[in-house]
Amino acid sequence: MFSIYKKEVQSYFYTPFAYIVTALFMFLFTMMFNNKIASMDSSSIHFLFPEVFYNVTFYFIFIVPIMTMRSYADERKFGTEILLMTSPVNVWKIVIGKFLAALTVLVFMLLCSTAFPIFTAVHGKVVIGQLICAYIGFFLWGAMFIALGMLISSFTENSIIAAIIGEIVMFIFLFIDTFASTPFVSQFPLLQKVLYAFAAKPKFAYFSEGFIRLSDVVFFITATIIFLAWNYIVIEKRRWNRG
Amino acid sequence: MIKIENLTKFYGSNRAVNNISFTINDNEILGFLGPNGAGKSTTMNMIAGYLPMSAGKVTICGNDISRDPVKAKECIGYLPEIPPVYPDMRVCEYLSFCAGLKRIPIGERSKEIKRVEELLKIVDVRKKLIKNLSKGYKQRVGFAQALLGNPKFLILDEPTVGLDPNQVMEVRKIITDLRKDHSVIFSSHILSEVSAVCDRVVIISKGDIKAIDTIENLEKNYAGNLILHIKVKGDRTTASNIIELTDGVREIKSIDPEGNNFFSFTVVLDGDEETVRSALMKDLLNNDISISEIYTEKPDLEEVFVKMVNQETKSGGAKDLLRELIAADGGDPDNADDTDGKEEDQ
Repeated sequence: MFSIYKKEVQSYFYTPFAYIVTALFMFLFTMMFNNKIASMDSSSIHFLFPEVFYNVTFYFIFIVPIMTMRSYADERKFGTEILLMTSPVNVWKIVIGKFLAALTVLVFMLLCSTAFPIFTAVHGKVVIGQLICAYIGFFLWGAMFIALGMLISSFTENSIIAAIIGEIVMFIFLFIDTFASTPFVSQFPLLQKVLYAFAAKPKFAYFSEGFIRLSDVVFFITATIIFLAWNYIVIEKRRWNRG
Repeated sequence: MIKIENLTKFYGSNRAVNNISFTINDNEILGFLGPNGAGKSTTMNMIAGYLPMSAGKVTICGNDISRDPVKAKECIGYLPEIPPVYPDMRVCEYLSFCAGLKRIPIGERSKEIKRVEELLKIVDVRKKLIKNLSKGYKQRVGFAQALLGNPKFLILDEPTVGLDPNQVMEVRKIITDLRKDHSVIFSSHILSEVSAVCDRVVIISKGDIKAIDTIENLEKNYAGNLILHIKVKGDRTTASNIIELTDGVREIKSIDPEGNNFFSFTVVLDGDEETVRSALMKDLLNNDISISEIYTEKPDLEEVFVKMVNQETKSGGAKDLLRELIAADGGDPDNADDTDGKEEDQ
């Protein structure tokens, strides 16, 4: 498992890939940050970092599929899947190794983004507790999307298609609560309840407001595990159905 | 020992491999011969545990590949048809990744990597990115990967495709050297290559096994039906009578007049070449028929192989098949031409 993790991390960091993705993330963060500072009027000296995070999540769905699109699609394209499958390694180790590597890139991105709070702390005041909550929420949210993106990557051998389908699915995840709160869906309380249960955005909102609710943590972790397990099944099943 | 029992693979309703069984003994090089699309790669992928079988069983060193895959896979090194290399990695990085996959203890990794690099002569390119390597070098890097950890069994799917003649010789030499403490299954669609390195050959076509035999046996069986060409000057009837009555001659395939009282006979033999030849010469000369030319056709295994795999008939022993082939060849030359035409179409 470690060798797969190491190889994946190398493929992210020995190529410009991880840096470009992080740069894109930082760029989006900077845009939000600047807007917030610029629109701050003199009477209110506060602006909330979690709010920035909350807005960045929207753009995050463009970044995660790019990060994960290659994970299985390229293995199939280059025929290296055979190498992994004929090595004395369990498939779940491959899945976990790849997942952890992508998670490492996420952590790298988040670490880079701490530059903004640090900068702010020098010139003003940062509510540490809330910030930590937001980071935890962001990490869990990212982990779920990475697992989802990798699952979608395992469906196809074309990484571009993997990225686009990943974006579509993540959009649905993001906007499911907007849809659930429309007057139309309100007519069906049961449907609304079910849709709300799957909505990830309000759960993330709690984190960004400084709450760590056990139910939200369980939601993100469960979703991540389900996607990883599904990922494992897809790979095993594809071997059985090949051709 | 690798034991393959009743291996079958369906792709949808299409049967790619049909109920094949054979074994690979220790320290043996087994050639796996068949035309493109015969099911070679499918079979190898199944043996290596990449593709699951529709039916049948593969046992490697006593471990069933589908029940105990990790243990079974530890005993094999596999070089697929397309070398499984990551274009964005350096050769040394790639090999160290593979060493990790094969669970070689960390302390021994660098030594092991050095060993295979030297064996495959890729020391010069070890710092290069794989995507910048030529096809031949990629193939060698893939081969090096299969040799890592010194697995007992090596499964090589067309290891010499795309190599230049020099590299082909080198790879063949490596394979021959491996015989000392490895078993090798080695697929190819080139018969001369297989006959150069293999102890035993499995010939497969359209998913069926056509023959399992040693190269010597295949050759010997074919040599049992040698074709003799003889050009004589004299009376045609006398000559053909003498030839027909000689022991070891099966039949006269054709007689072509060449003008000036010269005749060319094509004769199918089923006895020992030397005795038939000297008996024929003696008898003909005694009857005042002069011989201007006599030679036997070299057994062309390549041709036999092509015909063998194009045969639609039952999968009998190699010997029977070869007999049939020669008979068909002798009986009706036009027919033989037709089959040739079909091969080209395919």
